[in-house]
Amino acid sequence: MADKLEVQQGTLALMILKTLEVLGPLHGYGVARRIEETSRNRLTLNYGTLYPALLKLQQEGFVTAEWRQSENNRRAKYYALTPAGRKQLAREAHDWHQTAELIAAFLAPRDKGEAL
Amino acid sequence: MRHLRAALARIAGFLTRHRADDELREELASHLDMEVAENVRRGMHRDEARRRALMASGGLTVAAEAVRAQRGLPWLESVAADLRFAVRTLRRTPVFTAVVVVTLALGIGANTAIFSVVRGVLLKPLPNRDGARLVYLRHSMDGPGGSNIAFSVPEVRDLRTGVPAFAGLAEYSPFSLTLRENGDAVHINVGLVTGNFFEVMGLSPVIGRLTRPSDDGPGVPPVIVLSHEFWLQRFGGDPGVVGTQLRLDGKPVTVIGVMQPAPFFPGRVDAMLNMVISEHHLSAQMVEGRTHRMTEIVARLAPGATVQRARTEVATVDARMQGEFKEAYDPASHYRVSVIPFKDALGERARLTLWLLMGAAAFVMIISAANVANLTLMRGVGKEHELVTRAALGAGIGRLRRLLLMENLVLALTGAAIGTLIAIAGVRLLVSLAARYSPRANEIRLDGTVLGFTLALSVILALLLAFVSSLPREGSFASVIAGGGRRASGNVRKQRLQRALVIAQVAVSVVLLAGAGLLTRTMLRLSNVQTGLTTESVLTMEVQLLDFTSATDSAADAAAKQTYMRMQREILTLPGVIDAAVGSPMPLRASIVQLEIKAEGKSRETGEAVPTAEFRTASPHFFHAAGIPLLTGREFTDGDGPGAQHVVVVNRALVDRLFPHEDPIGKRVAWTGDVLRFTPFSGDWRTIVGVVGNTRDGGLDAPPRAVMYLPFAEEGAFVGGGIVIRADSSAAALTVEATRIVRRIAPSTPIENVMTIAQIKDESVSPRRLNAALVSSFGLLALVIAAVGIGGVLAFSVSARTNEIGIRMSLGADRGRVQRMILSEGGVLLAIGLAAGVAAAYLAAGVVRGLLFGDAPPDPVTFVGVAAMMMCIGLLACWIPALRASRIDPAIIMRT
Repeated sequence: MADKLEVQQGTLALMILKTLEVLGPLHGYGVARRIEETSRNRLTLNYGTLYPALLKLQQEGFVTAEWRQSENNRRAKYYALTPAGRKQLAREAHDWHQTAELIAAFLAPRDKGEAL
Repeated sequence: MRHLRAALARIAGFLTRHRADDELREELASHLDMEVAENVRRGMHRDEARRRALMASGGLTVAAEAVRAQRGLPWLESVAADLRFAVRTLRRTPVFTAVVVVTLALGIGANTAIFSVVRGVLLKPLPNRDGARLVYLRHSMDGPGGSNIAFSVPEVRDLRTGVPAFAGLAEYSPFSLTLRENGDAVHINVGLVTGNFFEVMGLSPVIGRLTRPSDDGPGVPPVIVLSHEFWLQRFGGDPGVVGTQLRLDGKPVTVIGVMQPAPFFPGRVDAMLNMVISEHHLSAQMVEGRTHRMTEIVARLAPGATVQRARTEVATVDARMQGEFKEAYDPASHYRVSVIPFKDALGERARLTLWLLMGAAAFVMIISAANVANLTLMRGVGKEHELVTRAALGAGIGRLRRLLLMENLVLALTGAAIGTLIAIAGVRLLVSLAARYSPRANEIRLDGTVLGFTLALSVILALLLAFVSSLPREGSFASVIAGGGRRASGNVRKQRLQRALVIAQVAVSVVLLAGAGLLTRTMLRLSNVQTGLTTESVLTMEVQLLDFTSATDSAADAAAKQTYMRMQREILTLPGVIDAAVGSPMPLRASIVQLEIKAEGKSRETGEAVPTAEFRTASPHFFHAAGIPLLTGREFTDGDGPGAQHVVVVNRALVDRLFPHEDPIGKRVAWTGDVLRFTPFSGDWRTIVGVVGNTRDGGLDAPPRAVMYLPFAEEGAFVGGGIVIRADSSAAALTVEATRIVRRIAPSTPIENVMTIAQIKDESVSPRRLNAALVSSFGLLALVIAAVGIGGVLAFSVSARTNEIGIRMSLGADRGRVQRMILSEGGVLLAIGLAAGVAAAYLAAGVVRGLLFGDAPPDPVTFVGVAAMMMCIGLLACWIPALRASRIDPAIIMRT
């Protein structure tokens, strides 16, 4: 399965949490659409990637799920952020920013003569 | 916290997986619906919308599988799936499965049963506190009956003070007492012990207390500590027995406690008492007599001391004793003291037999494992195609290996389960065998350790078997499939392995059969040994009318003798009785009294060991009644006895020792030696009036000992009494009537060992018979398994060479030639296996030498017989596939 992944495992959880924070309770289809749109369709999420990730977050207690009627009157399972999920999102976003800055600093062109 | 929570969620998911599956399907379907609706909204045709949505989904089944993997306990589910699969596969090949399971069950069952005995009797730590630090001291000398002569009190004293490596030294004198209760009387085996005995032995009471130093010496009340077994057996485990009084040899003795279950050496005991019960044990004779040896010693090593150090120190004390008291240690008899770990002493007689059986069982295991491996290999070839197909469909090598392992685990564990049932039945039989060799037989259990051993054995087997069959290498599937799929030949390496396994099977079977043959021949030879008695229709019974403690009571003695004579007279009136007489001990039983003897007018040459003889008594007609042949002279008559001339009857062995090439009648002999002072027997000269034949009193495998028979009327009745009854046909048929007469005349006296001569003889043969039967059944089992093995490999080879044989036949080879070809293929394997087996058996025969009797190995008859048997069975097993090969129709083979 690993070779078919289009999203890195760790980042997908973060994207899902962020999506639920911004849009509120949402079904799997909505989450997938939102992530694809936000990435300007550079990411595609197949079901085999998305649903295990949602289940994992649920098992860890960061999201809850319940069946509801959707806007066009379909039954769908809606996922919502829990308070623990909100905290986790803040922690992971913070970590991610730091990592990103660090990597950016590493990869940026340096002034000549600057000591490492 | 987060991980714990996730783990709990997974377990919950595993339990609710069926409901969750429905929900998941619904969720995925709703996702797909929404996507399709969106695509339609964007203007796609409905079918196209659905196709696109499905493509984007990445496959609903794949997704469901991925969620399931996240949800529950995927490894558990896949193990369960593997298990179901393995069971299904095995059920498709019932013959293979049955053969493998039965083979393994027999191997595992035999090993489990024998291991439980080996563990119980030899390996398990002693129940005594720090039991590993206990040592047994054995005093021995040359000559018959000299292997364990015990210690005298002065010797015990020397050892106690002279060996710092001992922290403590426990003494006990084996003793026999009569327990009378409510008109019932039994003999019990007891030990008379010093107060420190239990402290040194490291034993605790179950209830009450044990003896202590204040119980030593004269003038204290006699007390008794019951053994755990005797307490359960006789008193039903009633704790109220403590504090009550028992009548032992007519004296009241207080029960002070029950000791924990523990084995004793040389034999089991019913109870331990302080010394005061026996005046003799506190007498000056006993305490001062250096040659008066009645005490067994178990010592506890001091902290830091080793057995080796104890041996050195004991040897020093022994040398000093022998130097100081020359008259007590005849140099030609080589007195010596050995120090043996107590556990080893307990297992001593069982060790060789048990390891032999363990070895035989292990061999059976090896053969069965080899056979199963062979069957697996053959099946592996048939399965190759299946495995390749599975691999091509996406099963990884690890997964295939796991499937194979699961199959073998199912086989091995089923075998183990059935094997354990076999073992449960087998252990009962083995306990009765072990009880003849070891006081620890009651410790034999099929407990957790033994079952752990069984489980480990079967898992190891399964692992080995799973790795015997080779799997296609990763990436090689394509070439195998392209090659046309079914290759029936297997590869060369595999065939070589199969052949090696068959050779090993044949060789191991030969070793086992040779062992079985040697033991069987020993057993047969033993049962053909002449006991020295001319008839087996003799009934014997032991009736001890007088206790040892009444040795000096002459009125009681005379009354007892009257009673014996009355029993004899009344038994003589029974129909079917030819003759009856009184004496002690009974024929074919060893006498516990063995004394030094001398012949008038003869002196010993220097360096010649002191001659000894067994003390036995006989009434008139004793030899006739017992069937002991009178060689020259006469039997005792009513005229022999107190007041008459001292006369004796001796046996052939004594004549050979003292009067070779002389007429012994009229010669005079006498008891002699320092120890005579401590016995009630006189050293008067006695005239030989008769010579009787030798009897095998020390067991059928021991050479006859010199014996001096004294008139029963002349010696004290306390030395023992028994009745021999010669019957005209079946001696056993007289048992009830004869016992009734004795019981009526002496209602409160124990009647013991009511046995015919044939039964006594059988008692000596039966342990060996059981040994021989066990090893023989292992041998036959091995033979059958090996035959199946060799036949199977040939059959397989025939089916692999079907094409080749077809070509040969179409080129002109006739049926006979084909048969010979296949037979010789098997014959080569057989011959190599036989050669290896005979060579190995020749070496192994040295191991069993100690269990054999008569001809020492190599025993050519046995070896040739075994080789011929193996050859015949082996060729027979080869014949079936050879016959099949010759029936191949080249026309059919060539067409396909």
